[in-house]
Amino acid sequence: MPIYSVYVINRAGGLIYQMDHTQPKTEVEKTFSFPLELTLKIYDERVVVSFGQRDGIKVGHTILGINGEPVRGRQLEDGRDVLEMIANPDNYPIAIKFGRPKLSTNERIMLASMFHSLYAIGCQLSPAQKSSGIQVLETDSFKLHCLQTLSGIKLIVLADPKQGGVEALLRKIYEVYSDFALKNPFYSIDMPIRCQLFDDNLKAALESAERLSMYTSGIN
Amino acid sequence: MSRQGGRSADPRKVSQELFTLTYGSLVSQLVKDYESDEEVNKQLDKMGYNIGIRLVEDFLARSGERRCNDFRETADIIAKSGFKMFLGITPTVANWSAAGDEFSLIFDNNPLTDFVELPEEHSQLNYSNILCGVIRGALETVQMDVNVRFVQDLLKGDNQTELKVKFIKRLEDAVPAGEE
Amino acid sequence: MTIYNLYIFDRNGVCLFYQEWTREKHPGMSQEEEFKLMYGMIFSIKSFVSRMAPVDFKDGFSSFCTSSYKLHFHETASGLKFVMNTSLNVGSIHDELQHIYSAIFVEHVVRNPLSKLGQAIDSQLFKTKLDSYVRGLPFFTKVN
Repeated sequence: MPIYSVYVINRAGGLIYQMDHTQPKTEVEKTFSFPLELTLKIYDERVVVSFGQRDGIKVGHTILGINGEPVRGRQLEDGRDVLEMIANPDNYPIAIKFGRPKLSTNERIMLASMFHSLYAIGCQLSPAQKSSGIQVLETDSFKLHCLQTLSGIKLIVLADPKQGGVEALLRKIYEVYSDFALKNPFYSIDMPIRCQLFDDNLKAALESAERLSMYTSGIN
Repeated sequence: MSRQGGRSADPRKVSQELFTLTYGSLVSQLVKDYESDEEVNKQLDKMGYNIGIRLVEDFLARSGERRCNDFRETADIIAKSGFKMFLGITPTVANWSAAGDEFSLIFDNNPLTDFVELPEEHSQLNYSNILCGVIRGALETVQMDVNVRFVQDLLKGDNQTELKVKFIKRLEDAVPAGEE
Repeated sequence: MTIYNLYIFDRNGVCLFYQEWTREKHPGMSQEEEFKLMYGMIFSIKSFVSRMAPVDFKDGFSSFCTSSYKLHFHETASGLKFVMNTSLNVGSIHDELQHIYSAIFVEHVVRNPLSKLGQAIDSQLFKTKLDSYVRGLPFFTKVN
């Protein structure tokens, strides 16, 4: 039961900490002949498959590499444009690597503030009295768990939908945060957390939660 | 024909002949009302479109199909479930383009054209053009912009009836006002 | 257990239908603004999920919980969006939302040639059928 990543968001919606714990491999490489049987589009400055799903290539996958060279955004490192290369029959056969892209720091900051507003809207649109914002967001491939502390910090864990004990884990992360970030005299509140001890203890907490979940699901 | 026998047992179902005759009188009325075959083709396509955008919901509700992620999947579903469910026929999917964005539906039997002899002066009429509109409307509702046209027709003396479906683009959900 | 309310949006973001049953609280805004905000939130959650997902997904977003309610989301291939808010102790209602779509919406709205697509539903029959279906659901009653 992998735990994918942890985010900490301050009360203004700023991302102050992020760590990827388990990173699943989703890359697929295939050699194509002209013309390419996939529909591509530009999304978030990346070249993404919008239609055409086969051989492990999924809609939503990004082009990560061409002929073994890594792709950055819409271009290869030497500046050649990916869409132009793919449109030119002279470049075929062509080996293209697809997968889910690693998010850039800017994208993570953007997503954190997006969640911050979604949390607030979830609270505003509540049909019931005295509601918090989004605490658990469920999809078919992962679950997002969010603990908003009384001080307004949001601790977020992204995990496999079957991962158990995430609520306890969030409380444990809160403890780690107060012990190794807040109590550190050199850490200023609401600023990015850069403390080795915080990293180490967080990692230990995640690993123990993963083990525990594996153990309990093993019994069932 | 055994299929028809099975159907008539259900009192809510209309007999195929009545359906074919209804469609026939609709087309012949359009031919009287409009000057050119081109215009009739256009009207049939428009009617089909309006049927398609509704029919697809009926199809999704009954078949439980999910959104397609590949055009080949789309082609198969149209031929094997869509046509089967509504017209009781299964056209063959063939003639894929190299880029996988265009295919043909080949009909060796078209219930719309039973009893029909196309008059010579209407050689430009695509008698079953309503089907093009239905497919276009249905696919547009599931976020696919396509172009659909007849390229061969048994009624015009071709060896088979062939409809071409070309993928143009994926349509996106409406973005809420105020966002880009 | 209880059902608070239901929104149905088409793929252009038009709210085709809204009904509330045991809703306790209204946000301080007009209904029209509330529909816009709800559609906007669903739209943003979908785009958030597609960017954030560490692994490939099929349907994506299905529900979220807050401290006091649960929002369930179901989208058809034609882009119709069903959003139902219930109390927290209700499990997955994917099948119930699919039933509302296939047996009530398609039956009484899509197949009704007089109903205009893309506009708020004014079919009384649809409303009655939906209301009695929702009231008959096992998790509708407030008895704990």
